[in-house]
Amino acid sequence: MIDRSPLHIQRDVLLAMLIRELKTRFGSLKFGYAWMMLEPIIHVTLFSALFYFRGGEMYPGIPTPLFILAGILPWLCFNKCVTLSLAAVSANRGLFNYRQVRPFDAVLARVVLEFAIFLVSFVVLFAAFTWVGIHSPFNDIMAFLALFFLFFVFCLGISLLFCVVGERYPEAAKLIPVLMRPLYFMSGIFFSLEHVPPQYHNYLSWNPMLHVIELFRSACFTQFKGFYADSGFIVIFTIFSIFFGLLIYRVNWVELVRSK
Amino acid sequence: MIEIQGLTKSYRTGRRRNYLFRDMDAIFPSGKNIGILGRNGAGKSTLLRIMGGIDYPDAGRITSNKTISWPMGLSGGFQGSMTGRENATFIGQVHGFWGKQRRRLLEQVEDFAELGDYFDMPVKTYSSGMRSKLAFGLSIAVHFDYYLVDEVMSVGDAHFRAKCEHVIEEKKKTSNFIIVAHSMGTLRKNCDIGVYLSKDGIEVHEDINTAIAKYENTGKQNSSNVKKLPV
Repeated sequence: MIDRSPLHIQRDVLLAMLIRELKTRFGSLKFGYAWMMLEPIIHVTLFSALFYFRGGEMYPGIPTPLFILAGILPWLCFNKCVTLSLAAVSANRGLFNYRQVRPFDAVLARVVLEFAIFLVSFVVLFAAFTWVGIHSPFNDIMAFLALFFLFFVFCLGISLLFCVVGERYPEAAKLIPVLMRPLYFMSGIFFSLEHVPPQYHNYLSWNPMLHVIELFRSACFTQFKGFYADSGFIVIFTIFSIFFGLLIYRVNWVELVRSK
Repeated sequence: MIEIQGLTKSYRTGRRRNYLFRDMDAIFPSGKNIGILGRNGAGKSTLLRIMGGIDYPDAGRITSNKTISWPMGLSGGFQGSMTGRENATFIGQVHGFWGKQRRRLLEQVEDFAELGDYFDMPVKTYSSGMRSKLAFGLSIAVHFDYYLVDEVMSVGDAHFRAKCEHVIEEKKKTSNFIIVAHSMGTLRKNCDIGVYLSKDGIEVHEDINTAIAKYENTGKQNSSNVKKLPV
């Protein structure tokens, strides 16, 4: 056995888990890693086609495919984090026979991987669209990176919470994917809050994913105004998310692993 | 040394709680091989897994300054769609083997497990014997101060079993074993200290033979209560 510090062990386990997740998810497929682009491409094509036949742009000055791309990528990332973390404990139970691997590592590896997929798909698909002539000047790369980091913490907190929920309250775990469906339509993937009559803003703007997507669009496109996007709300929501995620995980993790 | 303080562990059986250990204390001195015996359901495997840091008690703690292995020959952590090599790589990486050390580990496992081309095939194509060989090879290749053995000390065909026994004899020079087994021969051959888990609690015997005698005695008393069938 090699003598390692706790931080060193954490790093080793995270890297090993990442490699393992990549191999099991994409490794055995032909063109393996290209498949992770498939889902965003399908969404973008479908909605672009829909709006093309309806005529006009979704948002003035921003090509429709790019507008959808900037909305669908954060959403898919969030959706995957939620659904994968609900099953993270049961799917990795065999690994808990190695004392270094705990549910935290399983969740962290999955969230890190989803964000890596998010970033790679974003860069590749944006470049691909620019190459075929669909382009828009990029607004603010620093704002994008800051938001990316914030969103990562946001998703990590929620995933830690949901890995506990998924294992301890399987009934609630069945409900959450069902709730994700309406949330998909309310998160501004193919609209902006500016398109919605103001009397509905009170209700819709409670949804943090809507703000995340609006903020991503403001970071990406100079033409996007993002009047109603509230970065303060997202910062506070992220702090709450990671605080409660870590707290609930810390209270419950032994209960997740041990035999009962 | 492994020290157990105030260990309590229970399982829910229907509406009741069934206690395996209640506020149990024990000290296992260094440099001794430990045999754990008791009837089915007495908590032998649970104790083994708690000592290995894999399972957790309801209360109490285990302290040790030694490294303790995962249960020897365990194949539950393998991912079926990954090859034997990939699975071995993962377990090596978790234990801190990267780069050159990882390569050496893989060579050792490949050499010991004798899987041939199957080492680069998905584990789901393995027979159960091949899985055990891979798992055993991995256990052998990573060094620990204590190895946990849950019944499985040798796997595979006669030739491979002999090889396992030989390598365990070698290991005994540098490491110790904590063994759960129902075979008294295995325990007598491999252990110094005997831990007997009974309904009344835990007994640590300095000599494995006294623990075995105690266990077999209790067994006899129980079997004398069985009504003899008319011939």
